[in-house]
Amino acid sequence: MINATKKWIFLKISSAILVPLMVWFLFNLVSFYDKAYEEVFLFFTSQPTKFLFSLFIIFAYFYSALSISEVFEDYIENEKLKNVTNKLLYLFAIIIPISTLLLLYKLSL
Amino acid sequence: MNDKNPLSPHIQIYNWHISSLISISHRITGIINIIIITLICFWVALLLLGNTNYELIQKFFETYIGKFVIAGTVWSFSFQILSEIRHIFWDLGFGFELKTSNITGLLVIFGSLVLTIVILGKNLVL
Repeated sequence: MINATKKWIFLKISSAILVPLMVWFLFNLVSFYDKAYEEVFLFFTSQPTKFLFSLFIIFAYFYSALSISEVFEDYIENEKLKNVTNKLLYLFAIIIPISTLLLLYKLSL
Repeated sequence: MNDKNPLSPHIQIYNWHISSLISISHRITGIINIIIITLICFWVALLLLGNTNYELIQKFFETYIGKFVIAGTVWSFSFQILSEIRHIFWDLGFGFELKTSNITGLLVIFGSLVLTIVILGKNLVL
């Protein structure tokens, strides 16, 4: 199996997982966004929210990194520039969710 | 032999159709959504700073700009959800006919607006 096929399969699997997680997060977001600190804190640190939110950001960054790299593939001609932007994108997609999850689990302690 | 991938033609070249509108909007909302999710991650990080600092965020969401940001987020997520479902149907081999594709495209546009109103209305945001 070539890399492009693997990438397409990963993209499709992650999008199928991400759709219900996005629906779940959207309904929750509108119900807690303007609430006081204690309520928002409780939302992010209690289960099953913590688990679902962790899955949401992992799959959101995974899916976004793959799909944005496709946009780079379509519109950036310079190979060096494309490689650099892809590497920065993947780095960003790893660092942000990992740091957020570490903070989230630190908040729960 | 030149083994470089060809670039996509830039969007100014095409005449606008529902399919092209949905396609470019899907990409734009995808990028907007990851920016929003990154801001949500910073929001989670702000919780670490405690109640006093958090009040700034709470006050921001009470303003019209804050509510507009939330409404925009709901629309952008709704658009992406419906557009992704359309893509999943395509991947399963359904909906490629031009007429069906145009109808599902319109469903994504109007469905995302209806979904936004339903979700916001349910929570009395506006």
